[in-house]
Amino acid sequence: MGATHSASEEVRELEGKTGFSSDQIEQLHRRFKQLSGDQPTIRKENFNNVPDLELNPIRSKIVRAFFDNRNLRKGPSGLADEINFEDFLTIMSYFRPIDTTLGEEQVELSRKEKLRFLFHMYDSDSDGRITLEEYRNVVEELLSGNPHIEKESARSIADGAMMEAASVCVGQMEPDQVYEGITFEDFLKIWQGIDIETKMHVRFLNMETIALCH
Amino acid sequence: MFLLLPFDSLIVNLLGISLTVLFTLLLVFIIVPAVFGVSFGIRKLYMKTLLKIFAWATLRMERGAKEKNHQLYKPYTNGIIAKDPTSLEEEIKEIRQSGSNKALDKTPEFELSDIFYFCRKGMETIMDDEVTKRFSAEELESWNLLSRTNYNFQYISLRLTILWGLGVLIRYCFLLPLRIALAFTGISLLVVGTTMVGYLPNGRFKEFLSKHVHLMCYRICVRALTAIITYHNRKNRPRNGGICVANHTSPIDVIILASDGYYAMVGQVHGGLMGVIQRAMVKACPHVWFERSEVKDRHLVAKRLTEHVQDKSKLPILIFPEGTCINNTSVMMFKKGSFEIGATVYPVAIKYDPQFGDAFWNSSKYGMVTYLLRMMTSWAIVCSVWYLPPMTREKDEDAVQFANRVKSAIARQGGLVDLLWDGGLKREKVKDTFKEEQQKLYSKMIVGNHEDRSRS
Repeated sequence: MGATHSASEEVRELEGKTGFSSDQIEQLHRRFKQLSGDQPTIRKENFNNVPDLELNPIRSKIVRAFFDNRNLRKGPSGLADEINFEDFLTIMSYFRPIDTTLGEEQVELSRKEKLRFLFHMYDSDSDGRITLEEYRNVVEELLSGNPHIEKESARSIADGAMMEAASVCVGQMEPDQVYEGITFEDFLKIWQGIDIETKMHVRFLNMETIALCH
Repeated sequence: MFLLLPFDSLIVNLLGISLTVLFTLLLVFIIVPAVFGVSFGIRKLYMKTLLKIFAWATLRMERGAKEKNHQLYKPYTNGIIAKDPTSLEEEIKEIRQSGSNKALDKTPEFELSDIFYFCRKGMETIMDDEVTKRFSAEELESWNLLSRTNYNFQYISLRLTILWGLGVLIRYCFLLPLRIALAFTGISLLVVGTTMVGYLPNGRFKEFLSKHVHLMCYRICVRALTAIITYHNRKNRPRNGGICVANHTSPIDVIILASDGYYAMVGQVHGGLMGVIQRAMVKACPHVWFERSEVKDRHLVAKRLTEHVQDKSKLPILIFPEGTCINNTSVMMFKKGSFEIGATVYPVAIKYDPQFGDAFWNSSKYGMVTYLLRMMTSWAIVCSVWYLPPMTREKDEDAVQFANRVKSAIARQGGLVDLLWDGGLKREKVKDTFKEEQQKLYSKMIVGNHEDRSRS
């Protein structure tokens, strides 16, 4: 960041846009610099430097989510090549805990945003529907670590799950009716009344309470 | 013009006298004690004085900050995320149970919600991960008047700036030349001494002389770095036919250990100054130096080490199994090669006190020469060395388990975190075998349920 005056203005702007506190923004900025190797932007390759991420079966989807134009609010589809710090914070803000004091409408909006982030993870071709193929793709990735599972079992698991989802969204289907895919409205219907917010956020430590004691 | 001549010679005289005085002081107070292995306690006194000055400096800053109502300490930055210690299975069950429209006795096979867990874990690691933290230098909680460690302190008064300036002057203009002179003396004595001893016929006299030449030169090098070392449990020092393993923070570890014991070194043959030193050392006693091509051949390495260890007249080998320098807050995975040989292992824990100078060598940030300069312009290097009781491999243990057992003992003694991760991650990527563990666990959960259902 440049001279201290403009730096704190930048931080305040980011605070307003993303909802993080200034301490958290500073922390995340350090992390950003660490990941990017002191460059102003991050590319996909920079995420290879996080060893713990390699253990995650859906790491490619997670990394992709960072560059997804829909998550970055830059367009309806496609991937960006590189992201700057503001984009990084935008993606991270999907994982902030929902502030329940803001009022019901705001809470509902935040919830929708989180679910939309997940929806984008499944819907890789950005056509607004999660098709059977895309669903299968996710299940295969999640199960990809185990060499003993054949592709067929993974497939049948995915098909079974898709059927259950369809039954929730469309009710009983005619025998020759083809289920096109889960739209975002259907996706929301599946999660109605279920408290997913507590599982879809990262718990940030409250910085003020952890002062050094000498 | 003629008036300048006597003036000139006055300056030359003064210079000559001060140099002679300095040299004599050097000899009497530093080199002679090093030769005989005694200590006047000058370094300990120096350390106590420095501590008093640091405490005063920190107090001044706190007072100054309170007066001006500034925040002195930045928040504790050891991690920003509260990570839950629950396991994969528990969390996924919890997520599924919160989907209350499914009956609890029917365990669903796969749900859209399973992705939550992995998604969140992924985000957490991107924000903050255990491993990368270990490869950057440790952050201090009080300032030691070195600007290079001034991460956390924002408010510095005029008095402190003057003190800091004085510190810079002392470190760069007095301590640095002194240390370079000592280092030069130490290294040249080592080369000359070992070469001369090499000409003697093999026998007890040669061994005796070789041991003392080595010890003497390492002691001079220790003083060249103003290293203040406290040795604990010296009765557990390594003996012939054993292997000494220690955690690795910097190349100085070798000097620290070798100044208290007589070891055979293991390493790659280097060119340049290091190569000269290596060739000279091996004339006096058998060290194990490998050519670059031989290093890749693990069997050859193991064979040579085994041969060395089995010959009881040869010295204990000094090995650093982590393979790379770690920042001294944790101990990383030990490479199993040295634990397969089957000799007695003498573990040693080394812990540096970062208050006086950060000894960690971040080889991706600094080269060797820059690193040595940084070391020589720090106040001092203070560390503790613990000699742990010897360990041998038990009958039903394999090399990896033995290595982990030794590693835990070292970590516990030195107060370091015992990590499962590989030090090689500083430069390479995670091995595929590790990646599959989490995925296997999750897929076992799903497929297990699937098979139960198809059977029933």
